[in-house]
Amino acid sequence: MASSRAPEARRLPAALARLGLPRHAAEGAVSGVAAGVAYRLGIPADVARAGFITLAFAGGVGLAAYGLAWLLSRPAMGDEPPRALAPAQRVGLALGFLGLLLVLRELGVWFGDQVVWPVGFVAFGVAAMWSRRPAGRQDLFAQISGEHGGPTAARLAVGALLIVGGVALFLSSVDVLAGLGQVMLAALIGGAGLAMVFGPWVWRLAADLGRERRERIRSEERAAMAAHLHDSVLQTLSLIQRSADPREMVVLARGQERELRAWLFGGEPAGGGRFRSTLQAAAARVEADHRVPVEVVTTGDDPELDEGLQALIQAAGEAITNAAKHSGAPAISVYAEAAEGRAEVWVSDQGTGFDPTAVAPDRRGIAESIVARLRRVGGRADITSEPGEGTEVHLSLGGGL
Amino acid sequence: MSIRVFVVDDHRLFLAGVRAELGERFDLVGEAVDVDEAIEAITRLAPDVALVDVHMPGGGGTAVVRAATASSPEVKFLALSVSDAAEDVIAMIRAGARGYVTKSIAADDLAEAVRRVHAGDAVFSPRLAGFVLDAFAAATPPDLDPDLDRLTDREREVLRQIARGYAYKQVARRLGISVKTVESHVSAVLRKLQLSNRHELTRWATERRII
Repeated sequence: MASSRAPEARRLPAALARLGLPRHAAEGAVSGVAAGVAYRLGIPADVARAGFITLAFAGGVGLAAYGLAWLLSRPAMGDEPPRALAPAQRVGLALGFLGLLLVLRELGVWFGDQVVWPVGFVAFGVAAMWSRRPAGRQDLFAQISGEHGGPTAARLAVGALLIVGGVALFLSSVDVLAGLGQVMLAALIGGAGLAMVFGPWVWRLAADLGRERRERIRSEERAAMAAHLHDSVLQTLSLIQRSADPREMVVLARGQERELRAWLFGGEPAGGGRFRSTLQAAAARVEADHRVPVEVVTTGDDPELDEGLQALIQAAGEAITNAAKHSGAPAISVYAEAAEGRAEVWVSDQGTGFDPTAVAPDRRGIAESIVARLRRVGGRADITSEPGEGTEVHLSLGGGL
Repeated sequence: MSIRVFVVDDHRLFLAGVRAELGERFDLVGEAVDVDEAIEAITRLAPDVALVDVHMPGGGGTAVVRAATASSPEVKFLALSVSDAAEDVIAMIRAGARGYVTKSIAADDLAEAVRRVHAGDAVFSPRLAGFVLDAFAAATPPDLDPDLDRLTDREREVLRQIARGYAYKQVARRLGISVKTVESHVSAVLRKLQLSNRHELTRWATERRII
């Protein structure tokens, strides 16, 4: 018996699945049916809820429709593309809904004009004011007012108008406007009562929302950090594991350390157009190319780059490259000072050194390119070296010490 | 008699590394992995030199140095950290550390730094020298003590040489003075750094972080 029914039971959900009515339990207020319908129609969920509520007062049609929709729907897989409605389609949808109400009214499936219209007005007014449009989609009001995101002024105005209209309609229909004073009093008392009843709940809800948002931000930050570490540190660590050359490992580790430090402590990114970071980037390039650690210390100001400073940094880069290529020193020190329109860089190594009066022609060429480059921008370069005593290149700009 | 060294670091891997590097050269009397343990053990063991990590749960290296200096003033502290953010460096020195080196320092240099600190000298890495130059660079307000709040030209010159990567011996030769004189200049700078209450120190450290 059970076995003969089983295929039937399986076939039904399959048919429903083809109908394609999803149920967004996660986003739903009750069971996610309205959210699913809204999703399918391409309208805000609160508007669909308002529709169901209004229909519920039309002789309970809304409740029946809701139950039917629940039976026909299936839990959302979350992979259907959201539907976008053109403004004209939305107007059409609204008119269709209005027509449905009028038909129900004619048929007498109706709790009465003085109930259904005010309820409908208020429900849609609340929906207009409170509904949040799904991410990545524009709603009608935003399109009209040309604004994007958040409840727009136009939407708030329309919502408030609908709510006030609905309340006024209800009050006028039950003919209590005459005793307006008492009604105001009653409304005030009722409002105060509601505040007392729902106040704590609303308060808790707001606190929950705040906490949820904080947690979401935190988890997003964690995800961003994980992504960054994966792209940088983990890659470098795996490179280090594969590397057999200790010098290579040191350079990889130093490069990664520099990058991570800049990221963690919010240092200026390389090439940010400032003196310090550009000099450090130049040193880092030599370090990576020649596998020699370059220690950079900077003091004083951090001026914006101009032509002179650029020449200074290029000359420093050449001096560092020379030291890395020829000195044989295990490390190179770079010290820079910038203040009040002058800038100086010292590039020192404690390597083999050389006799500046008897340099090989190719090295003289390099030295001159340093000297000449600085002279063009009004600076100077002094090279002190002795065989066995290391080399110091002093570059200055704007009147050195 | 070898120098008695105590190491404080919350990373056991790093402790093991230091043990391997310094175990031969010094008498490693103990280790600690948190602030309270470190203060207790340093007070009890009275080592010659304590290497202290800057970033630790429970107050960090500055708490260790401050508390242990109060109870055992004869212990010399050398700060050791992966961080070389200016405010960390300055905070450790002002808490009482006689030097600051980063953890990437070579074993020989670390051993040399321990010996130097033990001898009562200050250990300035090039980077620390750069920080100190910056910290004392701003114009001295008139109401502060010029003996404490300003570097002499000679001290400044020594720091600049250190910042350029030269060891004390080389600095001495380059400036035509004795190593002893270089050491006394550096110690004087250290004292100024610890005692000066010029507000620029902290303000500058904060600004530096933003820049």
